[in-house]
Amino acid sequence: MTHSGFSRRDFIRVSVMAGGGLLVACGGGSSSSRPATPPSNNSGGPPTTPAEEFTLGEFMRIGTDNRITVLVGATEIGQGALTAIPMIVAEELDADWSLVSAEQSPVAANFNNPYFQNLLQFTVASSAIRGYFDAQRSVGAAIRQMLINAAAKQWGVNASSLRTEASYVIDDIGGRSASYGELSSAAANESVPSNPPLKDPASYRIIGTSPQRTDASAKTDGSFKYGMDVDIPGMLTALIARPPRFNGQALSVDDNAALAVPGVRSVQTIPGGVAVVADDFWAAQQGRKALQVSWNELLAGRTDSASQRNDYNLRLNLPGLPIRSDGSTLLAQLQASETLSADYYFPFMAHAAMEPLNVVVDYDGSSAEIWTGTQSATLDKIFAGVVLGLLPDQINFHMMPAGGGFGRRGNPLADFVRDACFVAKALQQPVKVIWTREDDMKGGYYRPAASVRVSASLNSGDEITAWTHRVVTQDVTASLYVENALDALHDMELPPLAELTDFETGMPYKIDNVLMDAHLTILPTMPSLWMRSVNKFSDVFAQETFIDELALRVRQNPYAFRRQLLSEKPRHRAVLDAVSQAANWGQSASGVSQGIAVMGHWNSFIAQVVEVSVSANRELTVHRVVSAVDCGTAINPNLVIAQVESAVIFALSSVLFGEILLEDGVVQQSNFDDYPVLRMHQTPIIETVIVNSGNSVGGVGEIGVPCVGPALANAIFAATGERIRELPLSRLNFIIA
Amino acid sequence: MLTIQVNGVSHTVDAPEDKPLLWVLRENLKLTGSKYGCGQALCGACTVHIDGQPTRACVMPVGAVGNKAVRTVEDIRNEHIGSLVQDAWRELNVPQCGYCQSGQIMAATALLKSNSAPSDQDIDRAMSGNICRCGTYPRIRKAIHKIASEQL
Repeated sequence: MTHSGFSRRDFIRVSVMAGGGLLVACGGGSSSSRPATPPSNNSGGPPTTPAEEFTLGEFMRIGTDNRITVLVGATEIGQGALTAIPMIVAEELDADWSLVSAEQSPVAANFNNPYFQNLLQFTVASSAIRGYFDAQRSVGAAIRQMLINAAAKQWGVNASSLRTEASYVIDDIGGRSASYGELSSAAANESVPSNPPLKDPASYRIIGTSPQRTDASAKTDGSFKYGMDVDIPGMLTALIARPPRFNGQALSVDDNAALAVPGVRSVQTIPGGVAVVADDFWAAQQGRKALQVSWNELLAGRTDSASQRNDYNLRLNLPGLPIRSDGSTLLAQLQASETLSADYYFPFMAHAAMEPLNVVVDYDGSSAEIWTGTQSATLDKIFAGVVLGLLPDQINFHMMPAGGGFGRRGNPLADFVRDACFVAKALQQPVKVIWTREDDMKGGYYRPAASVRVSASLNSGDEITAWTHRVVTQDVTASLYVENALDALHDMELPPLAELTDFETGMPYKIDNVLMDAHLTILPTMPSLWMRSVNKFSDVFAQETFIDELALRVRQNPYAFRRQLLSEKPRHRAVLDAVSQAANWGQSASGVSQGIAVMGHWNSFIAQVVEVSVSANRELTVHRVVSAVDCGTAINPNLVIAQVESAVIFALSSVLFGEILLEDGVVQQSNFDDYPVLRMHQTPIIETVIVNSGNSVGGVGEIGVPCVGPALANAIFAATGERIRELPLSRLNFIIA
Repeated sequence: MLTIQVNGVSHTVDAPEDKPLLWVLRENLKLTGSKYGCGQALCGACTVHIDGQPTRACVMPVGAVGNKAVRTVEDIRNEHIGSLVQDAWRELNVPQCGYCQSGQIMAATALLKSNSAPSDQDIDRAMSGNICRCGTYPRIRKAIHKIASEQL
């Protein structure tokens, strides 16, 4: 126990793992966070099924007007969580979809994501639908049964003689019906069935359809509220002056000029920098410009992009920790007639979500209310408690929908929440801490830079007998598996790295001897994080451009070559075939070149074809991107297609332009002028087909990202004969129209 | 004290003349539909209409607005074309995170008011100042074409 009363399981623990990787440990489960309104009937022992963990009252509301509000534990970050998760509940509930609306849930254990062992609310890793699907179905089915049981009791009939349809319980024999709204109060008193029957997917009425997003109206009339829009009485606005180099500390502060700016109230030094607190944003911004701070940079980061790249490239020559090892690559390499290899480099990249980071904290010394758009509310709340010295029960944390996340709002170290809590702790007055775009761009937690080396060995029959893949990068994914890792550490035994990270690319080709290893470096003064598709962005780029090189080396069509190597991977093959058909592979217009790539991850599969042309003066035009995606079961196909469109454009921004450069520890980019992202006039035609495999649900938030780069690079090779081995393309003297 | 005309209403606000219109709208008038995205007129999330012209409110000093009529996303439904744009946005599920969409809608409305049959090049010209990180550009293009071909 610590002085603040957190138990071992509740407390955040940060530690470094042998061999690299930052581990963040947190407790979870029911003790770390409680619903804002305690459920009325949760005292009857531990829950035994997902359904029993919920009560009608806390999980959803069924009004007497028959309106249903579903509380959603995953953050709405644009992916459609506020639409797709209620659809799953409504399906099993047999609800009238037109009467269903959605809200973000409180931060409470009952809303934790089952994908993360029910330990926390964490909207990362394409896990919202995958994680919540089964539990949401059970909840919907259980409540439907409770409504039926209530009607049966009222009418004095057997529950099995009743059916449901569009929010009504119907008694066909008795010729009567009652709405869910009418039955809701009585249903709440029914016992919760532990194993309610689930629908056969063939009888789905809502899943598999494409109703409008539940947030579409509010997102077109300006009424949708983001964290940035939170406004509470007496609220001040703060901007934080941060050190030019990561981990610098304020040494001395001259705040005279800042305090002289009308509207500036105070200047507060916090661990992360110096906050200028004012009546409004403008005054805070003027005040921050006037502030004079000298920084202690003895322990500050001095990352320099050029030397860091050299360092990474040198380390490619040394074996790393194995992530995947099939057969014996060493033996196969010795017996090979030829071994080819290629090195790749990928720079740091910023997420640059449209809504810059911001947090509102109302702290009065004994309790706090916090509002922020976050993908990691549970950990944020725990960190807030640590900073403010409050117990979870003393914090009302509002997980706001966010204006984009892409991983930046899912920081297990809760950097932006901690900063805001330090400001609030000093002020004890409501405050909104806003990051300007420049703060957001320069604030670190980037997609980490990576060096990758891939090799393949061929035998005399031109068959690939060995494949190696080595990566040098920073690791953040390991922290996902914290509790497992620590339990294992407790037993003095480290689990294999492959079980700690999500690094394995799932290289799908039929090759007997495969070695993937990694150097997961630790750079505490160069904060990195995951960014949409994480390491698959770089690792699949290397994998899928290199396999293209091999296809041409053995004089085969890149599509046919992959297809043949995927003979044991039917779902990869199905999307590959589908995209080749949808894109008319091999039959592009004159002057247009095609490239292809395929992958599977997050329980989903995708193949993409990119069509480009490159003019004599290296003007690169991306004409079309065609995708075929198999996400098992598409809850809302229109939203799946939207996610793929989104991923294609996100990937193109990264591939064409994405680069954060550091010189002697100082980030060189600041805003959308020197960190360009894709705009309307650069956007290709995007076509997406869904390959409906009927398998269990897969994630779709990230699957559309990784193959865009290699398919584009392969198309550039087809157009120019030039191999792309580093990004972004704007650095390779391509002119992006 | 300054007086500005916003959404057909005259407002007297206590703000320095150099405070950007965006922050006067968001903080003084509590009209939070217009968004802060970059503060440098680079992303378009703050786009409002001033006398019908799409304008980046984040770099427009409130003192320079004068008597001109400011219209924000909260009021755009009161313009025929603005309401068509909002309807098409909903119908095609354009928004994802939605943060940039106020600006997109204001830019698209201004485009369609001046050009009832925009070509792809016209759309590129009018809309390329508005960044969307979720990548809703294809649906925005489709929605603009749909309004032009079916309703104008």
